[in-house]
Amino acid sequence: MMFNPRITAWAAAAALTASVGAAHATDLTLFHTWSNESEMKALNTIIDKYQADTGNKIQAASVPHETAGESPLVSLFVAGTPPNLFIAADASFFKDLDAKGQAFDVKPLFDKIGVTQALPATVLQAITIDGKVLKIPTAVHLDGMVYFNEEVAKKAGVDPTKWTSLDDMWADQKKVEDAGFTFIAIGGNSFQAGYTFHALLAAIAGPAIYNRFYADTPDKTVFDDPAVRQTIETFRKIAAQADPGWVNRSWNDTTNTVIAGKALMQIHGDWMKGQWRANDKKAGVDFGCMNIPGTKAVSVTVDSFGLLGGVDEKTAKAEEDFAAVVVDPKINAEFAFYKGSSPVRLDVPTDKLDACNTLVLDDLKKPDFSVENPFYIADGDWINSVWNTMFTLQGDPNMSTDDGIKMLKSEYDAIFK
Amino acid sequence: MTALSETRAQPGRAAIVIPRRRPRIKGSSIAIFVFLTMVSLFVAIPLYVVIVTSFKPIGEITLGQIFNLPVQWTVQPWMKAWNEMCTGLACDGIKQGFFNSVAILFPSLVLSIAIASVTGYALALWNVRWADGFLFVLFICAFVPFQIIMIPLIIVVASLGIFGTVWAIALVHAVLSMPLLTLIFRNFYKDIPRELINAAIMDSGSFWKIFWEIVLPMSGNIMVVVLILMITTVWNDYLVGLTFGGISTKPMTVILANSVITSRGEAIYNVNMAAALLTAVPPLVVYFALGRFFVQGITSGAIKG
Repeated sequence: MMFNPRITAWAAAAALTASVGAAHATDLTLFHTWSNESEMKALNTIIDKYQADTGNKIQAASVPHETAGESPLVSLFVAGTPPNLFIAADASFFKDLDAKGQAFDVKPLFDKIGVTQALPATVLQAITIDGKVLKIPTAVHLDGMVYFNEEVAKKAGVDPTKWTSLDDMWADQKKVEDAGFTFIAIGGNSFQAGYTFHALLAAIAGPAIYNRFYADTPDKTVFDDPAVRQTIETFRKIAAQADPGWVNRSWNDTTNTVIAGKALMQIHGDWMKGQWRANDKKAGVDFGCMNIPGTKAVSVTVDSFGLLGGVDEKTAKAEEDFAAVVVDPKINAEFAFYKGSSPVRLDVPTDKLDACNTLVLDDLKKPDFSVENPFYIADGDWINSVWNTMFTLQGDPNMSTDDGIKMLKSEYDAIFK
Repeated sequence: MTALSETRAQPGRAAIVIPRRRPRIKGSSIAIFVFLTMVSLFVAIPLYVVIVTSFKPIGEITLGQIFNLPVQWTVQPWMKAWNEMCTGLACDGIKQGFFNSVAILFPSLVLSIAIASVTGYALALWNVRWADGFLFVLFICAFVPFQIIMIPLIIVVASLGIFGTVWAIALVHAVLSMPLLTLIFRNFYKDIPRELINAAIMDSGSFWKIFWEIVLPMSGNIMVVVLILMITTVWNDYLVGLTFGGISTKPMTVILANSVITSRGEAIYNVNMAAALLTAVPPLVVYFALGRFFVQGITSGAIKG
């Protein structure tokens, strides 16, 4: 029996290609916490690019956001089936992984492909743990911005963009209330109270005091600083704007009161934009965004992936390829566009960014103008105590600023003494 | 004679009409009625809000008037919940979770009911050595919270090589339900007349033959009780599925929670409510279909000391 040499050659080449392809393909597993349409579109921007570039496949599972302190992720590690790529925020989780040889330091990679130089200092700090870059940054959020309803502002005859200090802001309060609107929309849980407080602390007290307040072991003398007192007083004044429906109100519902035109503005993390966009509202048309008036610094949340360390060379290469796609400037800008966040690099193409993104990037470019989210730098119990203290202050109008400071000192003693 | 009076004739006297007392509503009945109404409203009002919200467009929800009926009714949220809700890397709807939950449900039911019914039968009708001690241990196990044994269980399941599969979830459900189900079966089988079993033994009935041919056919009511209990437990379970489902086997509840629980994402309430109702429907259907037998099962001795 004779074989056609050309067909035989083609068949051999095809078989070789298939076997080489199979040998080179490295499938990765991804464990994440995203589920909204906007989040999935953003994630698939990365996945599509990665799979197209490398031929590797990614199998993914998602679990509810921050469920029980990353316990589903922990269970995968305990079972000996850790995912290659995962979302985690807690620095102590990465420290544990590092101690077990399961963390992946991408600093050499980031240095090599020029990412390190393109990241704002605060982002770089947020992804660096004990001198190693253990996180791949995907998105930036500011923890405290002012989002206001343009139509309400117009009806009330105020222009929030003109406010250069908190005094300017309060000066317009009566005007807004006389026009029949709530001045500041307030929500009712410790998450909102805690985030409002630390965003105010950064804005009013500045980076130096913020970093004394939020640290592994805070500086106890910071509680007597006048700037901390002023922050708590401002917090109480903002909390006093609450309308009768504030109790148990989630941040999404708080945003809805602004979208519905019942309140002028909300002071919260810039993920508020997602709720506006879900209601088909546009930045610069339906809503405006700005820093807290007179802000000295902004607190920054950096969403990030972790990579599994201690893997074979081929898997490590596949994971590095994934990391490189995540921080690719074009992909990062697209990711931010879909997710409603801001890019992590300062050199991304700006064609898809809105006014709010531009403002965030401008903030990040300024030296000493940003601080890290407390979860990256402070003790977890301390953060919880601050949240509880602020939520208690919010719910009890009889408590004074002195009572608040006293409570913080008492919580400090309980945790650190 | 009317309903409210009766006539009594006495010899030598004219008939006397005695007015019958209007039946009085007792105070205790009123209290029970008020209590039951309050309990019903406690569930019915949130359920009403969930249902009407699922039929509202997002613009109406933003206004915050949660008790209002929709101005513009829409089934779009239901379609979106079933077909477009996201999990993993795909937005194929909560139906992915539905099929996962079905795949988890059947092996969980078979495994847990098979083990518990045989154990209950042995403990009730056969002379098992240390039966009382075993029952006591089972009773204690019923009070151990799952969270305490979660991590050791993960290690055990992983060592069996089934972590992240349907079988891992089914096995854990079987283990966790064993104390309660065994006690239920044992109490039910204890009421089977001893003479019947003795007669069967004399007729050369073996342990398994008696179980298959005599005991099991008499277990219809208790099986329905246990089926409803287990279907509700397994279908509504969140933590076991979340923990043991690994990367690829997440039940409907986990996918629902993934969409509803969000720290920084937008909340699309109408889709969330529709997804919640879709997740709740299967156990409700089972309960409505088999509820009559459930009551029969309970009254025939399943749940008693």
